[in-house]
Amino acid sequence: MNDYLIPVLLIVLAPIIGGLVYGFERVVKARMQRRIGPPLLQPFYDFLKLADKRKMIVHSAHAFLGIMHFVSLWFALGVLLLGGDLILVIFLHLLSTALIILAGYSTRSVFSHLGANRTAISVLAYEPVLIIIAVSIFMITGTFETGAVYLWDEPLLYKMPLAFVALLLILPIKLKKSPFDVAEAHQEVTGGVELEFSGLFYEAVYTAKWLDYVFCYTLVFLFAGSNILLGIGLIVFTFFYLNALDNSSARVNYKQMLRFSLGVAFSLAFINLLINILS
Amino acid sequence: MKLASYRKKSPWILHYNAGGCNGCDIEILACLGPKYDIERFGMINTGNPKQSDILLVTGPVTKRSRERLVEIYAQMPEPKVVISCGACASTGGVFRGMYNCEGGIDQYIPVDVYVCGCGTRPEQIIDGVVQALGILEKKTKELEESVRLKKEAVNEGKQLNRRNIADEIKPLLS
Ligand code: SF4
Repeated sequence: MNDYLIPVLLIVLAPIIGGLVYGFERVVKARMQRRIGPPLLQPFYDFLKLADKRKMIVHSAHAFLGIMHFVSLWFALGVLLLGGDLILVIFLHLLSTALIILAGYSTRSVFSHLGANRTAISVLAYEPVLIIIAVSIFMITGTFETGAVYLWDEPLLYKMPLAFVALLLILPIKLKKSPFDVAEAHQEVTGGVELEFSGLFYEAVYTAKWLDYVFCYTLVFLFAGSNILLGIGLIVFTFFYLNALDNSSARVNYKQMLRFSLGVAFSLAFINLLINILS
Repeated sequence: MKLASYRKKSPWILHYNAGGCNGCDIEILACLGPKYDIERFGMINTGNPKQSDILLVTGPVTKRSRERLVEIYAQMPEPKVVISCGACASTGGVFRGMYNCEGGIDQYIPVDVYVCGCGTRPEQIIDGVVQALGILEKKTKELEESVRLKKEAVNEGKQLNRRNIADEIKPLLS
């Protein structure tokens, strides 16, 4: 019973935790730019305000896909935290991204289409690497169950450091941070797929972004095995790494992103997998 | 903290240049920078009309931009506030009387706050936005309450149609 307490709490509170992470991130980012930055609870103010706005929907399927994106992402997070199959988690996450891509294509806005194209490309960039990392984890632990990985004695980081580097390289793509934020690209395509959402329905997409934070940091936590302190250290390190990278780099175009992730990150993960198989 | 005060805490701004000289736009960007940092009030420059609350327009309406201006305004969900930023957005400014220019933006969309200056100063813009926040909150409240309920019920003898009611409640709103 007690084994399930913490995961279930984490799952229920995931949007709140994600919102706090996002708020803290905005403060940290502002401080890095020598600004004061918004209050910590800013994401929640945004949340409440968006609930107040009048709802405008393009068509009902579009709004529905947006909400399903949120729900399926939460479900994927739930499976990940409860110790489900890692491959299943990755594909559930892919499903939720596919839903938002469909939503992007279902409108007539050009920017929405562009955003959907770019989101699809970024899926192409990070998904293979994630799968290879999952297979590497399987090679070491002998199981795809994340529940077993949480209890694994020796931190996976020591066995597969290259895979961790590869994960660090694709996390900016997944979280839509510079230099790999072509999918969102606020100055070019004004948010891409989320462009046509408004009011309460934008809220679903906005909160899904918070869930994505929790999802990605849980993936990072996997590398620490049962060593909770190391896991927290890794998460903190990843947090500052992501923000520093976001603040200090300019956006690359999608071809460069694809070349980089499939060239560098994928080969790193693959070399790591080879080493794991051979040793 | 009052629960309702969150409405003033997260104004998302949409910035549109209807045809100005870019001077005011640079000042708006200066507001976002480290010195003035309007993000500490929770403001974001979204660039997406469907998610923003405040429309910040610079430059006069030109024959090319008027349709876009009205369309952007129409795409913003209620409650929304319009700020005209700079002399030429308010009156036409230095462009007034030119063959391509139709003067201030209030000829096409209702404006709530006028910010003066040719090259508005960032302080003025922030001041204008803070005033706009007050208006935004008032508008949000107006959306919620029906002014008609404040008057006594219409009895059968003299029923009003909707236009009459609108005329009747206009003084109450202002
Ligand atoms: S008010 Fe002056 S500085 Fe501003 S856009 Fe118009 S001409 Fe340029």
